[in-house]
Amino acid sequence: MIQSLILSTLMFGAMFSVLTVSLNLQYARGGMINFGTVAYFAAGAYAYAIFTQEPPSGLDQYAFGFDLPWWAGFLAAGVAAMAFALLTGWPTLRLRGEYLALTTFAFAEVLHSVLLNERRIGNGSVGMANVERPDPAALGLDDTLAYAAAACLLMLATAWLFRRLLASPYGRLVDATRDDETAAESVGKDTARVRLQIFVISAIPIGFAGALYAMITTLVAPALFTAEVTFFVWIALALGGERTITGAILGTMALVFFQELVRIIPFETVRGAQVAASVEEVITGILFILVLRWQPWARLARRAGA
Amino acid sequence: MTDTILELDGVVKEFAGFRAVGGPQGLSFSLRRGGFLGLIGPNGAGKSTTFNLISGVMPPTAGRVTFDGTDISRLSTAETAALGLGRTFQTPRAFASLSVLDNVMAGLAHPAEGPLAALLGRWKPAEAELTGRAEAALERVGLIARRHDSVANLSGGELRMLEVARQLVRAPRLLLLDEPTAGVDPTLQGKLSEILAGLHAAGTTLVVVEHNLGFLMSLADSVVVLQNGALLAEGAPADIRRDPAVIAAYLGADHDA
Repeated sequence: MIQSLILSTLMFGAMFSVLTVSLNLQYARGGMINFGTVAYFAAGAYAYAIFTQEPPSGLDQYAFGFDLPWWAGFLAAGVAAMAFALLTGWPTLRLRGEYLALTTFAFAEVLHSVLLNERRIGNGSVGMANVERPDPAALGLDDTLAYAAAACLLMLATAWLFRRLLASPYGRLVDATRDDETAAESVGKDTARVRLQIFVISAIPIGFAGALYAMITTLVAPALFTAEVTFFVWIALALGGERTITGAILGTMALVFFQELVRIIPFETVRGAQVAASVEEVITGILFILVLRWQPWARLARRAGA
Repeated sequence: MTDTILELDGVVKEFAGFRAVGGPQGLSFSLRRGGFLGLIGPNGAGKSTTFNLISGVMPPTAGRVTFDGTDISRLSTAETAALGLGRTFQTPRAFASLSVLDNVMAGLAHPAEGPLAALLGRWKPAEAELTGRAEAALERVGLIARRHDSVANLSGGELRMLEVARQLVRAPRLLLLDEPTAGVDPTLQGKLSEILAGLHAAGTTLVVVEHNLGFLMSLADSVVVLQNGALLAEGAPADIRRDPAVIAAYLGADHDA
């Protein structure tokens, strides 16, 4: 049981860490508040399902199924998230702060509604079940272990690439743009372009994570991609401290571990499980408030600096 | 190539329909290449707004701004900067999360500044040379010892010098300085004066907004006086000091310069 707890924490923790690390780039470095994170995640998951799914037959209501290998679906997921980021970022990135937050939130809600009501994309509310995925058993691996490893790999690759991206003159440009756009423009920097680049670049790994999520759950349905995902990722980012990539990862791992811990407790009754689920949400909320109020990570950073 | 580098022709700026609030109203003047223009006038005369209109921070409501033969009235700040225009701000602007050195480095056009170059590591070869240029600029403004400091530790005067250094590394053809001596101590003012004289001698065209007339008049070769968004007087520093209209509107009757 301990082993399965660790594995599922690693699997979902690493997968959601890809989202928090990307959000860390958008928010802490790019200065953009994206409250529509789930949309890019959903774009990736749906793109993966559509590209790997067999063509529709029988009762299927979806219009496209390309029956391509998993890696083609995985690449399509990155491209889909990138395309959706371009589409949503282009008109909205002139907005600042909470205005951008509201607009991205609205975009995610619109996408959710479209997925729910336009059945030709992914069977509407039913979604697409039995999503194709590479079979780790062929390599003699346990399913959970293999997908936990894949999630960790995606997380580490994302963190490494983002770190490399920012430890450069480009990182300096990104920081300068966030700190003072007018000053950056007065030395000839195209800040609108920088903001769009960061918005789009950080959406790509979110799309990949979406594909991985589709593989893990083998189900893609609108009910899985609600604003709850966005808030979960934001809470994880706040818990871990948004300043560093390591913090974003640790925060996510801690939050996922806590959820998985509650999940494995054996309950005698349905009522017991329901109470536990509510208590879990309450405790998550309390933790969130405590971290925001006392900012332990900022204090630690100050102590380390002094 | 014309001898005029900057020309304002009937420039008007209205803020939400009101002409009287600090914006130029039909302002015209021109500046010869390599000139050093002092822009003075009482508070609210429209000096900083004029800078904002030239540098593209905001577009003029009417009229034309021409920089070296190009109409820049509708260009953005980034576009005017790319054409070779540099400016500082009345309230110094620094990149708060970057070190002093990186603040200056950010002013440079790095040949491999894009995201792809970052991932591929292509930016590394040029970095050393650019660091050298940025350090040289910091040396000139007297901030070299502070290069690894956070900008949060700089004083107001030092922030102004940092802004000057960020523009120096870019070697703009036209440099606009908005009150460069405000909050700067006499030693640094001396340094700034040397730097500006050096730029002037090297052929850079300068426009300086300044209330410190002793500083300005010793450097400028021509002066434009604004009042309520209109040109009050224009001429050599010595003539401006004796102009009765300027004395009445700005210098004050008891000025002893």
